[in-house]
Amino acid sequence: MKSPPLIRELVRATNTEAVLWRAEDLLLYEYDALSVMRQPEAVVFPTTTEEVVRVVGIAAQQGVSVIPRGAGTGLSGGATVAERGILIALSRMNKIVEIDLENQRARVQPGVVNLDLSRAVEDAGYYFAPDPSSQKACTLGGNVAENSGGPHTLAYGVTTHHALGLEIVLSDGDVIHTGAKFWDRPGYDLTGVVVGSEGTLGIVTEITVRLCRLPEAVKTLLAIFDRVLDATRTVAAITARGITPAALEMMDGFTLRAVEAATGAGYPIDSAAVLLIEVEGLREAVEEQAQAIEAVCRENSAREVRCARSEEERALLWKGRKNAFGALGRIAPNYYVQDGVIPRTRLPEMLEFTAEVEKRYALRIGNIFHAGDGNLHPLIMFDARDRSECERVVRAARDLIAKCVEMGGSITGEHGVGVEKNELMPLIFSEDDLEMQRRIKGVFNPSGLFNPGKVLPTGKMCGELRIQIGAGA
Amino acid sequence: MVADVKSALKEFSALLGEEHLTTDAATCSTCAVDGKVPRLIVYPSTAEEVAAVLKLAADSGFALIPFRNRTKLDIGNPPERYDMGLSLKGMNNVWHYEPADLTISVEPGLKLKELQHLVARDRLWLPLDPAGDGQASLGGIVAANASGPLRHAYGSPRDMVLGMKIATVQGKIIKTGGRVVKNVAGYDLGKLLIGSYGTLGVIVEVSLKLFPLPGRRETFILQPGNLGIARDLRRRILESPLSPLRMVLLVASAGTKLRVDAPRAFDSSRLEMCIDAGGSDSMLMRIRTMLEGIAKELAVPFESCNAQDAENTWVHASDFRRWIGEGHPQAIVLKICLPISASEQFLSMAQQEAENAKARMAAMSLLGVGIVYVAVLDSLGAADGEHLTRRLKHSAENLGGVLIVEQCPLELKMRLDVWGEPKDDYEIMRKLKMAWDSRRTLAPGRMIGRI
Ligand SMILES: Cc1cc2nc3c(=O)[nH]c(=O)nc-3n(C[C@H](O)[C@H](O)[C@H](O)COP(=O)(O)OP(=O)(O)OC[C@H]3O[C@@H](n4cnc5c(N)ncnc54)[C@H](O)[C@@H]3O)c2cc1C
Repeated sequence: MKSPPLIRELVRATNTEAVLWRAEDLLLYEYDALSVMRQPEAVVFPTTTEEVVRVVGIAAQQGVSVIPRGAGTGLSGGATVAERGILIALSRMNKIVEIDLENQRARVQPGVVNLDLSRAVEDAGYYFAPDPSSQKACTLGGNVAENSGGPHTLAYGVTTHHALGLEIVLSDGDVIHTGAKFWDRPGYDLTGVVVGSEGTLGIVTEITVRLCRLPEAVKTLLAIFDRVLDATRTVAAITARGITPAALEMMDGFTLRAVEAATGAGYPIDSAAVLLIEVEGLREAVEEQAQAIEAVCRENSAREVRCARSEEERALLWKGRKNAFGALGRIAPNYYVQDGVIPRTRLPEMLEFTAEVEKRYALRIGNIFHAGDGNLHPLIMFDARDRSECERVVRAARDLIAKCVEMGGSITGEHGVGVEKNELMPLIFSEDDLEMQRRIKGVFNPSGLFNPGKVLPTGKMCGELRIQIGAGA
Repeated sequence: MVADVKSALKEFSALLGEEHLTTDAATCSTCAVDGKVPRLIVYPSTAEEVAAVLKLAADSGFALIPFRNRTKLDIGNPPERYDMGLSLKGMNNVWHYEPADLTISVEPGLKLKELQHLVARDRLWLPLDPAGDGQASLGGIVAANASGPLRHAYGSPRDMVLGMKIATVQGKIIKTGGRVVKNVAGYDLGKLLIGSYGTLGVIVEVSLKLFPLPGRRETFILQPGNLGIARDLRRRILESPLSPLRMVLLVASAGTKLRVDAPRAFDSSRLEMCIDAGGSDSMLMRIRTMLEGIAKELAVPFESCNAQDAENTWVHASDFRRWIGEGHPQAIVLKICLPISASEQFLSMAQQEAENAKARMAAMSLLGVGIVYVAVLDSLGAADGEHLTRRLKHSAENLGGVLIVEQCPLELKMRLDVWGEPKDDYEIMRKLKMAWDSRRTLAPGRMIGRI
C-alpha cells in the first residue's frame, strides 16, 4: 500500500520514517487509559521543536486536527482522537536538557518520564515533587497538560506549583516561551494557564521545573481501622491538629484485599480501611508528627498503627498503593476510575454515599484515594460484556460526581476533563464562566487545530458523562 | 473622558446611590496614580455592583483603576488614561471559613491583618507577609501576587489561591477554581488574574488555602564578612535539611541607617542574614545547633534574637519599600528576579554601580527565592537615575534575570517601561487583554508593553 500524500509530507517534515499510518499500527493509539475513540490519520514522533512546528503547519494546511500525546496514561481521554486528526507523540522528545541543582531547576523535553527526572537527581539529594501513581510511565508533558498530582502533592502542591516556564508551539506555528527559570517574570502568567489545559492551547515542547530537596527523614505509618467511618474522620482530625503530612492516602477493605493479593505488601486483609500516612522533614519534626498522628488515629478508634521499619517495608507499602488500579483490574474484567474532589471534612458523608450508590446500582466500588486532599477515586468494577451493568456504571459515576458538586467540590481533581467530562462542565460553570474560558482558547488556539472536542462542552451531549466503557477501561 | 460625563455620573449614582461615589477634588487627589487624578471614585459594596460599574465604565469609555488601601498603586507604568477609581473598601466580608478544611473565602477589601486575626484563633494563618504591614487587602495582594520573606517556605499567593470570582467589563461575575484544594476543571483563569494588577478584571471574591501556625519561632542573625561568605552560607543552608520559614540578607552602603526605630540598629558596615525558624522546642534546638555549626565553620558571627528584635526585624524586612522609603521620598526601588545562585553577585554589582553613581543604596535579598529588592536612596535626577537603573537592569539580565522598577520619581518612570521589554509571549498577553477588556477600560497602559 502506497502512503497517502499527507503521510509523505509528514515523513519529510520529521526527517524520519517514524510516521505510523497503517491501520494495524494505529490500533494502539485509538485509546488512552480511559477510553477508545477513533483512529488517528497518523502518528508522528518528532524529536525537535522545529519538527513539531513543521507538523503543525502541515496539519493546519490539510485541515486535520492535532492531538499531542505523552504516554497515553491519561484517564479522561485527552490523548485520543475526537475529530479527524493526527497524533503528535512526544515520547521521542525525552531529553533532560539541563539540570541546575544550585538553582533547583531542571529543563526537560516533554517526553521525559516523570520518575526518570527524579531518578536523575536523587543521588544529589533532589527530586521532582508531583508523583502521580503512574509516574513510572507518564510524561512530564502529560503532567503539565493535566496539572497532575499524586500522593505527595498534599504537602508540596501539584504540577502547576512546580512548573515555572514552558516552550509552546501555537496553532499558527509560532513558538513562544512563557515564564522563566526565576519567579515573577513580569506580565500575565501564561505558564499558569497552559498548565492543566489538556493539550488544547498549544503543544508544550520544553518545560522548566523546580526540583525539591529530599527530606532528611521519612516515616510511613499504616493506620488500620475496623470501620470506614473512623478512617475518614481521622483525615480531618489530623489536619485539625495542625499537622500536614506529606501524604495521606486511604484504601478501603475491598481494595486493600485486592492489593494484598497482588503485591503482598503487608496490608491487613481483615480490616475495613487503612490510612497510609507519610511524614517528612527534620528528624525531630518527623518523630513528633508521627507520634501526634498515631495519637489522633487512636483517638479515632484505629485498631492498630504500624510504622514501616525499613526502607523495604516502606517501598512495599507504596508499591501496593501505586499499583492498586492494576490490582483491582485483576478481580473484575473491567474497572472505571472516577476522580472527584470534596472538602476533606465531608469525607465520612461521601463514603457513606458511595456505599449507597454501590447498593443502588448493584455494583462493586473500591475506594482508594488522596484522602488528605479530599480527592476521591471510586473504582467501579464491571464486566463490559454486560450492557445493563455498563449503563449502571455510568449512572453511578454520574451520581458520585453530582454529589461532589453538591458538597462544594469539583468534577475532577487531577485526571482532567478531556472527552469524559466536558459535557459535565455546566455542573460547575455558568455559561458566562465558560464564555471567558472560550475566549482564552480563542487567543491561544484560534483555529481550533489542537485537541478539538475536549475540555469545553460541545453542547452535543449536554450533562452526559462520556466514556466508552468496555474497551480499554 | 469620552462621552457625556454628566449623564454617566448620573448613571453611576443611580447604580450605587449618591453616598457611594464622590467627585470631591481632595478625595480624588489622594487616589492619584503617577500624577493622574481621577474625576470620580466609586465605592461599590457587592460583587454585582462592581460588575455593573465595570460595564458602565466600559460603555461610557471611562478608564478605571481598582484599589483598596493603595499600598501597591505606584507599581506599574503610568496609566494612559485614568478617569475613575474603584475602591473596594466596602467589601470586607468573609463568606466562608472552614477551619478543619483549611480554607477561607473572602471579599477583596478584607485586610490581611483582619484575616490573620480571624484565623489565628484556630491556630491557622495565611503565610504571607507582603509590604503594607498587614494593611494590604487580599484583593490587592492577589492581584499583585505580592509576597514577602515568608515566600521562602510557603510560596506566593499563586500557591494559595484555590479559586475566585471575577467581575468583568462585560458586567458579568465569573467563577474559576473553587474551595477545594485540588481542582483541574477547565482553564485556570485565576492564574491570569494573579499578578495582573487589575488590568483584566476585578477580583470580587477569593478562596484561599490556610496553613497551621508553626509552634514556636526563633530568629537568628548571622553576619557574613562579605558577599562571598554570604553566598557560601546560603549554599550551605539551602543544601542542609534546615527549612527556615524566612531567610533574608540585608545590605546597605556605609553611613546608611537601617532599622532606625529598632532597639538594635543595623550597622551598615556589615551584612546581616536574618533567619526565621519555626517548630517545636526540639526542632528549634536542632536548627540552632546546625546553624551555629555552619556559622562557626565559616567564621561568621551568630546570635539568636530576643522576641522584640525578631518582631522588629521582620516587620521591617516585609515592608522594605516603605521602611526605606520613609526618609527618602525620591528613592528608586527595584525588584530583581534572578536564578537563586546569582543574587550575591548581583548585590555586589549593585553596590559597585551605586558607588559609581555616588548614591547610597540598601538592599534586601530573599536568598532562597532569587528575589532582590534594591533601593537607591539619594535623589539622582531623571537622567542619572535612568542611567543607573539601566546599568542595573543590564547586570540583572546578564545574570539571567529581569529588573522591575517598583517605585521611582515620575520623571524617571516616563523614560522607561518599568517591567522591561516584552518577549515572544507578549502578543498572546496583548490578545488576552483584548479578549477580556477590548476597550481597555481597566488600568490601561500599566502592564508590560503598556498593555
Ligand atoms: C494507573 C494510573 C494511575 C494514575 N495516577 C494518577 C495520579 O496519582 N495523579 C494524577 O494526577 N494522574 C494519575 N493518572 C493519570 C495520568 O497518568 C496523568 O494524567 C498523566 O499526567 C498523563 O501523562 P501522559 O504522558 O500519559 O499523558 P497522555 O495521556 O498522553 O496525555 C494527557 C493529556 O495531555 C496532553 N499532552 C500530552 N503531552 C503534551 C504536550 N507535550 N503538550 C501539550 N499537551 C500534551 C494530551 O493531549 C492529553 O490531553 C493515573 C493514570 C493511571 C493509568
